Amino acid sequence: MTAYILRRLLWAVPTLFGIAVVVFLLLHMAPGSPGAGGADSLRRASAKAAEEMRRQYGLDRPLPEQFAAWIGRVARLDLGESFVDHRPVSERILEALPHTLALNGLALFFALALAIPLGVVAGGSPESVFDRASGAVLFAMYSMPTFWAALLLQTLFAVRLRWLPLYGTAADAAPAGLAGLQDRLAHLALPVTCLTYGTLAFVARLVRSGVAEARTADYVIAARARGASRGQALWRHALRNALLPVITLFGLLLPALLSGSVIIERIFAWPGLGRLYLDSILARDYPVILALSLLSAVVTLGATLLSDIAVAAVDPRVRDGAAG
Amino acid sequence: MLLPRRARLPASARVALAVVVLLWLVAACSPLFTERSRSIRLDARLQPPSLEHPCGTDDLGRDLLARIVTATPISLAIGLVAAAVSLGVGFTVGAAAGYFGGAVDLALSRLIEVMLCFPVLFLLLALAAFLPPSPATVIAAIGLTSWAGDARFARAEILKMKELDYARAARAMGASTPRILLRHLLPNALPPLIVSAAFGVGWAILAEASLSFLGVGLPAPAVSWGGILSSSANWIEEAWWIALFPGLALFLTVSAYNLLAEGLRTVTTQGGRNA
Repeated sequence: MTAYILRRLLWAVPTLFGIAVVVFLLLHMAPGSPGAGGADSLRRASAKAAEEMRRQYGLDRPLPEQFAAWIGRVARLDLGESFVDHRPVSERILEALPHTLALNGLALFFALALAIPLGVVAGGSPESVFDRASGAVLFAMYSMPTFWAALLLQTLFAVRLRWLPLYGTAADAAPAGLAGLQDRLAHLALPVTCLTYGTLAFVARLVRSGVAEARTADYVIAARARGASRGQALWRHALRNALLPVITLFGLLLPALLSGSVIIERIFAWPGLGRLYLDSILARDYPVILALSLLSAVVTLGATLLSDIAVAAVDPRVRDGAAG
Repeated sequence: MLLPRRARLPASARVALAVVVLLWLVAACSPLFTERSRSIRLDARLQPPSLEHPCGTDDLGRDLLARIVTATPISLAIGLVAAAVSLGVGFTVGAAAGYFGGAVDLALSRLIEVMLCFPVLFLLLALAAFLPPSPATVIAAIGLTSWAGDARFARAEILKMKELDYARAARAMGASTPRILLRHLLPNALPPLIVSAAFGVGWAILAEASLSFLGVGLPAPAVSWGGILSSSANWIEEAWWIALFPGLALFLTVSAYNLLAEGLRTVTTQGGRNA
């Protein structure tokens, strides 16, 4: 097991380096940098921004030197300062982070909490009415553009019924105490719903096919023969194996959620990381763009490492196969 | 052999195929609606759906149905071409990694891993915003950011196939590497790749709509479903139809391609290739 973990960590080093290279390439494609082509004057960064880029990134130096200097600063957690308001990038990110964590954390929680039972029940009796109906709904969710769903939900619940606020994180005059909490939850309802259903559909389909396959496997039949009830066989035995691909893909759910966050935070005027990223793209605020790309990729890498190690911990086939 | 001989698509996938064909027919007829989609009538702003305007009118009094129809060809074409680019890059990288193995595989696998670590939309937005705005940029941005999944898939397929007898036989007869890859392995890897491509088209159409929705998609004169949806947010209190209908077109298109892909997957995996 230790050998597997060490090996996996070692593999992560070149990946980490690759991530840094991709982010560095992004900087060099940016208008205003020496690497950017195109004569589109509208898109060219202003002379001031170009000057600023030279100052922050030393773009007049040789490439390896630039790269080394940039990596050196990032390693010391110095992410530079924003072109827009000249505050440290880390400060802006830390401001937005809690909003995105709340949104994505809740979305992830609901997605898993709903998808797993749904997948087990549907996969437990394939081709049943429930399986077909839930399959059709999950498929529709899977193909439904989040921004469309968001606009429709806004129209229904905020404009027509007036049950929920249209956007924002809290009412302008936010009430205190319990009413304040209620207000915040009401503001979370629509964005969390929109961010949840895609992941929910993905995970539920994964669990369903895993359980459907496992239910006829020898070990599940053996469990039944030993006197386990049908429910026990499904939930205790079939689900365990069906969860393996979910754990494997868990790390990769994070970038998908962040992608969704960009759209959802824009629609619901949510001051999180997705909104910050989009605003920075539109304002050509390169230090923020680079920092957010780098951070999200590194966090994902960390999460995939953890899920790989978790899979190896529960599945001896993986660790023996990889270590041997 | 593309598909098993007696394979039949499931009914849902046949319906989806019909929808896809219908959408392409609509796209072919769309030039007839261009003029109508552009005629601004300020006396008919934000009209709800009626016989004259089946999907209502937008904030400039333009017929919404005509605008949705006009946006069809570019959306479908971008979906197809971007998915092809993504599949091309993905297959090349994945096949090289799987076939050559060793150091090549290690390096390319790390590259695939790197790409999977970024939120796709982050890279997509950066590319679309940094390069000059044009359909080619949108295609390049989608194609260059979405290939990692295809590559992973192609690598696994080639890895599985290169040790099969026919590949070994070709190697033993002295066939060159490109020949083995293109003449022997590619045709056999094709069914799963076609499935992957069909899903890719759905994804690419969605990606283009997302970019246009976020304001970095197709440049101004082009009409895009994502663009109309983006403007609908301004009229959400007054005009629900501006949000409903373009989204419906998008949803229909994406689910038709996804359903088709799913049907193809059923056929290719059950049709017993070497199962």
